[in-house]
Amino acid sequence: MSAKTTDRAQSIHVALERALHTDGVVAHDGAREVRICAGTACHASGRPAVTAAFHDQLAELGLADEVHVVETGCHGFCEQGPIVVVQPQGLFYSRVRANDVAGIIAASIASDGIYEKRLYRDPASGQPVPYERDIPFYAGQRRLVLALNGKIDPYSIDDYLMEGGYRALAHVLAADDPVAVIDTVESAGLRGRGGAGFPAGKKWRFCRANPGNCKYVICNGDEGDPGAFMDRSVLEGNPHSVIEGMIIAAFAIGAGVAPVHGYVYVRAEYPFAVQRLEAALVQARERGLLGDDILGSGFTFDIVINQGAGAFVCGESTALTASIEGQRGMPRGKHIRTVAHGLYGEPTNLNNVETFANVPWIVSNGVDAYRAMGTETSKGTKIFSLTGKLQNGGLVEVPMGATLREVIFDIGGGMLPGREFKAVQLGGPSGGCLPADLLDSPVDFESLLAAGSMMGSGGMVVVDDATCMVDFAKFFLQFTQDESCGKCVPCRLGTKRMLETLVRITEGEGRPGDIALLEELSQYIIDGSLCALGGSAPNPVLSTLQYFRHEYEAHVNDKCCPAGRCKALITYYIGGDCTGCGLCAKKCPTKAITGEKKQIHVIEEDLCIKCDTCRQVCNFSAVKVRSGVERSDPADEGRQGT
Amino acid sequence: MLGILKAMRTTLGHLPQRKITVQYPEQREQLPERSRGLFRVVVDPATGEPRCKSCTLCETNCPVQVIRVNYQSANALPAVNEARIQRVRTDAQPTPDLTQIAPVIDHYRETGTGLMAVLQHTQEIYGYLPRVALSEIAVETGVSLSQLYGVASFYDQFRLSPVGRFVVTVCHGTACHVAGAPLITDAFAEELGIEVGKTTKDRLFTLQTVSCVGACALAPVVRIGDDETHGRMTPDKARSLVNELRQRAEVDR
Repeated sequence: MSAKTTDRAQSIHVALERALHTDGVVAHDGAREVRICAGTACHASGRPAVTAAFHDQLAELGLADEVHVVETGCHGFCEQGPIVVVQPQGLFYSRVRANDVAGIIAASIASDGIYEKRLYRDPASGQPVPYERDIPFYAGQRRLVLALNGKIDPYSIDDYLMEGGYRALAHVLAADDPVAVIDTVESAGLRGRGGAGFPAGKKWRFCRANPGNCKYVICNGDEGDPGAFMDRSVLEGNPHSVIEGMIIAAFAIGAGVAPVHGYVYVRAEYPFAVQRLEAALVQARERGLLGDDILGSGFTFDIVINQGAGAFVCGESTALTASIEGQRGMPRGKHIRTVAHGLYGEPTNLNNVETFANVPWIVSNGVDAYRAMGTETSKGTKIFSLTGKLQNGGLVEVPMGATLREVIFDIGGGMLPGREFKAVQLGGPSGGCLPADLLDSPVDFESLLAAGSMMGSGGMVVVDDATCMVDFAKFFLQFTQDESCGKCVPCRLGTKRMLETLVRITEGEGRPGDIALLEELSQYIIDGSLCALGGSAPNPVLSTLQYFRHEYEAHVNDKCCPAGRCKALITYYIGGDCTGCGLCAKKCPTKAITGEKKQIHVIEEDLCIKCDTCRQVCNFSAVKVRSGVERSDPADEGRQGT
Repeated sequence: MLGILKAMRTTLGHLPQRKITVQYPEQREQLPERSRGLFRVVVDPATGEPRCKSCTLCETNCPVQVIRVNYQSANALPAVNEARIQRVRTDAQPTPDLTQIAPVIDHYRETGTGLMAVLQHTQEIYGYLPRVALSEIAVETGVSLSQLYGVASFYDQFRLSPVGRFVVTVCHGTACHVAGAPLITDAFAEELGIEVGKTTKDRLFTLQTVSCVGACALAPVVRIGDDETHGRMTPDKARSLVNELRQRAEVDR
């Protein structure tokens, strides 16, 4: 290496050191700290009041200088929010209310004890688990992208720099070999986390090779899948990791070839993510990590935020570029890919938030460390947003190839008490439902596809025996039907007809042959649609038909909803457990419930609007649902309060 | 033979005339960019009468104001009442202060990108996209009104009519659906007496649904405005929330 290049490398590393202002660091390892989760879910559960209480009460006790209050990104354990972690002990408090703050300060900050009331309790044993590291939800995970979530303040670039942030970028810029970066990413086996699993390195190579006046690097944060929020959490908790990944990608794609411009396309429904990303971009520009002449290397790249406007189809690459251009977000045929002809007709590289966030880790830790995780074809880790009817919902990052059982039962803590696992839905509206028999199949791109589902962006919704699978499929189809952009006729009209058929079935007017009709239409829609929205829209129907066909048959032939969910097929009645407390009668909005005090009440069927209020408020599970000819009531106990 | 000759005469007679058709698809008529063809009044096959009753609903409600209903005096109907049309329009959409969007448009002119951002900012200012503001943007930016309207009507985020003081957004994500979001929406709709997407007469509530707000652990989730989120909703809670909001509005008044 010549003296000149060593000097250049040296100066880049010096510039990085200068970028860190140690007085700006908020979160310190080993220091006395209160880390409060400031993710969207914890915010909604009352985080602002908790933070304010900590600030006030620490100041009152004169501890404000000694003990820092840090608002971190999402801890991932959203079910238990708001979450407060007291450092350095690592004490984990869940569902903290403002009036618990005094107790926590007295027990764990002013002295060295534990405030029992808000400790997390293991649902299996009922025992409190005081330390974050011991909680099964965290212990079973391998956190790579989410490592700094819950640790650093997303508004402080210094926190990220202190944790070794932007070191991967400096390394790449100093080495000054864009092709080597692509080689690294490709040999690491990083595959796109947005759903399709296309190798990221390969995409970068194509984009670099295609000629153009300039190139675009776009981060796809249009996380439209209902039930998925991992991209939001990464952007909220650690926006700099995504920015760093994007700069590295831009360097790999454009350095020495053409100028590169960056866009982050993020949903407008995620206000915190937009705020934090905006702040992060400003800070990165101030410290010379973004914009002209990054770290004195001569490489120039900047990022603009583009807010989406609530169209699911804009997660599709060609629709997304149309949306940035200010057009209706309609996809086009992809016989010419966006890497050749994308935004404004130039070569465009589009990756998911999580994909970019993986890049700095790969560069810093090396290909072998990354390849050590995962399966033969799918490397590294994957974040899932685990939600639905289970104990511990939240963000779960596991190595590829972990089984569904490990994720749902070991990390997620299994189903709610008294409920039975019925299915897990993966991949959002494009994915499918997998039944209990397939719980031991590994989660990687190929296995899920083979089972009739798909990885998608990583939404994992667990449903119990009180969920009607026909209604569930109808929900997804309703969604894709609403979101279909209308360009391809099979998708626009086909989904409409499928939805009509499903509505008919759930309303008890299903006809013989409807099931076959659904299957036939599905095939036409899959074959005749340009983009993945149409191509995968029938998946929820097909997978439920594959594994839960008997439920469809029960709706069509017996006019009965086995799960007791479809309003038209059920009736409410009050069973013998009624104590005559009158609560349901008081709450009933249509006054359909009558009865003497301490006598069993009766529901007037003609007046009942089936709003479910009575069943939810009853403390004795006396309100029951029956469906169809046989008087079964499979959906009563345990559903209360869910 | 005679027939052929007659036909030939017709053909030859038309030869020297100017062509009124074009060689489609080589040649194409120049149509406006988002042209959907022409309007036509449907004639009822049974009676032979036009179905149009000149109610002028289409005229008063057309967002881009391209419809004019010309009544025929033969039907003894009143002439076009410009004042009435204007009144219906201002009732539906109060005249907004257009100077507020000038900086947004200036920014667009400088950069030339971010049409969506222009619309998003406009909506932030007025709470919806007023018709006159869209026309103003079209004139000032040179983007055709039909294209603007195309974009505004494509994305769920944009609203073309004013919203109530409290925008009640019920999340219909997967987790929320499984946890009973449809029951929550029904409860709101029933309590407020409006359908999804509509605003109450007193302009207090707008009810809408969203595909996911990403707070799945708190399902079912309801958002009031942009900042207030309520988790773990039940139909009963929904009803009391409406009352609480009504009281809040009462107190402010």
